[in-house]
Amino acid sequence: MSTVLQQIINGVSIGSVYALIAVGYSLVYSILKFSNFAHGGVLMLGSYFGFFALTLFGMPFWAALPLAIIGAGLLGVLNERLAYRPIRIRNSPLLYLMISSLGASIFLENFTIVTIGPNFRTYPEVFAISPFMIGDLSIGRLDIIIFVIAAISVALLTWIIYGTRMGNAIRATSYNMRVASLMGINPDMVVAFVFFLAGASAGLGGVLFGIKYTVWPQMGILTLKAFIAAVVGGLGSLPGAVLGAMVLGVTETFAAAFVSSAFRDLFSYALMIIIIIVRPGGLLGTITGEKA
Amino acid sequence: MSQYYIGILVLICINLIAVLGLSLMTGFTGLFNFGQAGFLAVGAYTATILTTKYAVPFPLALLAGMLVSVLTSFLIGYPTLRLKGDYFAIATLGFSEVVRLLVENLEKLTGGSRGIPRIPLYTTLPVALVATVLALWLVANYVRSRHGRNCVAVREDELAAESIGINSFRYKQISFAINAALAGLSGGLLAHYIGFIQPSMFGIIKSTELIVMVIFGGMHSLTGAVFAAVVLTSMPELLRAAQAWRLVAYGVLVVVIMVVRPEGLMGSWEFTPANLKALFNKQGG
Amino acid sequence: MPLLEIQNLTKNFGGVTAVDDFSHQLETGGLYAIIGPNGAGKTTIFNLITGIYEPTEGEISFDGDTITSLRTHQIAAKGIARTFQNIRLFSDFSVLDNVRTACHRYASYSVWEGLLPTPRRGREEKDLAERSWRLLKLVNLDDRASELSKNLPYGHQRRLEIARALAQEPKLLLLDEPAAGMNPDETVQLMEFIEQIHETFDLTILLIEHHMEVVMGLADNIVVIDFGRTIAQGTPEQVQSNPVVIEAYLGTEEEE
Repeated sequence: MSTVLQQIINGVSIGSVYALIAVGYSLVYSILKFSNFAHGGVLMLGSYFGFFALTLFGMPFWAALPLAIIGAGLLGVLNERLAYRPIRIRNSPLLYLMISSLGASIFLENFTIVTIGPNFRTYPEVFAISPFMIGDLSIGRLDIIIFVIAAISVALLTWIIYGTRMGNAIRATSYNMRVASLMGINPDMVVAFVFFLAGASAGLGGVLFGIKYTVWPQMGILTLKAFIAAVVGGLGSLPGAVLGAMVLGVTETFAAAFVSSAFRDLFSYALMIIIIIVRPGGLLGTITGEKA
Repeated sequence: MSQYYIGILVLICINLIAVLGLSLMTGFTGLFNFGQAGFLAVGAYTATILTTKYAVPFPLALLAGMLVSVLTSFLIGYPTLRLKGDYFAIATLGFSEVVRLLVENLEKLTGGSRGIPRIPLYTTLPVALVATVLALWLVANYVRSRHGRNCVAVREDELAAESIGINSFRYKQISFAINAALAGLSGGLLAHYIGFIQPSMFGIIKSTELIVMVIFGGMHSLTGAVFAAVVLTSMPELLRAAQAWRLVAYGVLVVVIMVVRPEGLMGSWEFTPANLKALFNKQGG
Repeated sequence: MPLLEIQNLTKNFGGVTAVDDFSHQLETGGLYAIIGPNGAGKTTIFNLITGIYEPTEGEISFDGDTITSLRTHQIAAKGIARTFQNIRLFSDFSVLDNVRTACHRYASYSVWEGLLPTPRRGREEKDLAERSWRLLKLVNLDDRASELSKNLPYGHQRRLEIARALAQEPKLLLLDEPAAGMNPDETVQLMEFIEQIHETFDLTILLIEHHMEVVMGLADNIVVIDFGRTIAQGTPEQVQSNPVVIEAYLGTEEEE
């Protein structure tokens, strides 16, 4: 029983990291209607920002974390300015944005390999790793902390999107960019803000992942998990991204623990395929067909 | 010709075959495939296991690799081809990761992450050239046929294509299958040229290189695919020193292309007698 | 037997009922119209007929066969062709190729013959080319055959889209707001064109329109819908003088 509980906690913990990444990904998708492959690069660099802030500059965690988050957010904005805006303003097909994001992602990953180096890095011990004990159940302290930080961040993001004027502007723009701009909303500002939020949450996800596991230049591949989470929950839906991420996190942790850890990713993809076949709109989504 | 240049030529051929498939599938049919390396791996490992463990003749082994690759494309195509563009692209990425995963973990069959060594070097320059010319001829024919036109129609506007009676799902399946066959062939040839294979050779980097070639050359042009395969295979080889920065350059290249000239180098231009005549007339007149 | 029969067609999208218990019958050779305010559900009806949407309720049969659950390309093969409100040409194709692609079902050579050319393929391709040229001449677009379709002026693009639909040699032609985006002169030309093809090709035509003059001068029978329901039906004269219609639709038009 304790192992099951342990795995649930593991699953929820990694699920909440996935949720952070998936929410950022879904945000960009809902505004610009394309899959931003460079999301992974931002996540990875956010993780490195945190790592170097802690190790190279010896900053305390409560300073390093905001630095990494803001740094990743700004990187997201820069990425949009350079790689997407020139294409977007020309009203080119969405495909071009996706390909450009692929290029940006290739660039970020390999630039990091060449400059910082291909080695895996380990975060210093930021939190005491002694587990909480409830009776004779041991619960990972790190997992709880990660979950709490992620949950607070997702709540904060939700508040921004649904409870502020900027959030209203974002949602209006996601329904119809042209109409929103006619109503006085500056789409460029909204897009920049969205990319900041997406980058920031990706960066936070990267830091949390780095703390629990490791940092390496190809860790952007985690966005694949975020994508699976978004598909499972319903693409373009923020609550869907969170739900999908949790389902994914728990499913793959259980599969890894009780079936085979080597094939954990196989179960993640299988989950995605099953959802695509059985419920293509995702658990929470509604498919809107193309308007003829 | 020295061994070194022969080697580059063989590599160009091997890449070109895979790029032709990708050009048909991604360029002409509009299905974004970020997992081409997965099909190369399927072809490479199938052919290799047959030649090394069961002494199957090379041509048969290559055909088997192509067949398994095609069957795989039908298997994963079935659930994923109905998906929208970016969903499908990411699904292919997932597929190639799964292939790598399976290869690394089914050690008894595939040698795991250490791979399979001492593969007989059956891929000579004549073999590679014949295969390439054949592939080019077949794909060029297909593109010019009514089936090729239907693929482009599906890419241009799937709804309109369906409205004129084109079964878009079936055409996507076919393009996917032809691509898988060519990728499988490319993989089999690669394995028997290099002499060993490891899962690390068939990762995201390989898929990326191939898709960049299609984008660079122009997604709607086979001529562009040929050109890109030649340039982007030979240049890194000749500029060995800057290897590490090669992929960095690729990334920048892709973004720049999309911003400046998204139709790639050739756009939709093909190396045909009519087009050449028009080109020279413009310059002469 | 009516060519197209629609019975109690209903389509719900989540909480919105786009089409509500719509029924209609088209006799062979007629020229019919569906009119209604924007958002009334007209294009949705087309999408339901052509299999792009699946109805929530109701049946559609064409030429005696039930087509309700068929896929779009199957319905097209049965003899229904359509154009779209926002012109959907294959922009990277030439004018000729747009039409030639639509002729594809008149060739039967296989995928294998696509890879490896055979004499049969050569013959069939020649036939497709001839068909395409003939059609282009009929619609007066043959002088622009090798131009890219995206470079044509708007009116010509619309004509090409209709030509592409005609290339399927359909029994029923669905035209979705063909005069959209045209000035009065272009509209008149288009209407003459539609009249012409109606006679030349022995077609049944169903058109959706917003421009009142277009429909009044052309259609034998008009159905007026609003909020997905039929509110009136009859000849142009009957519809024009129907008070319900005037209130819902024509009235607003006249005020403009």
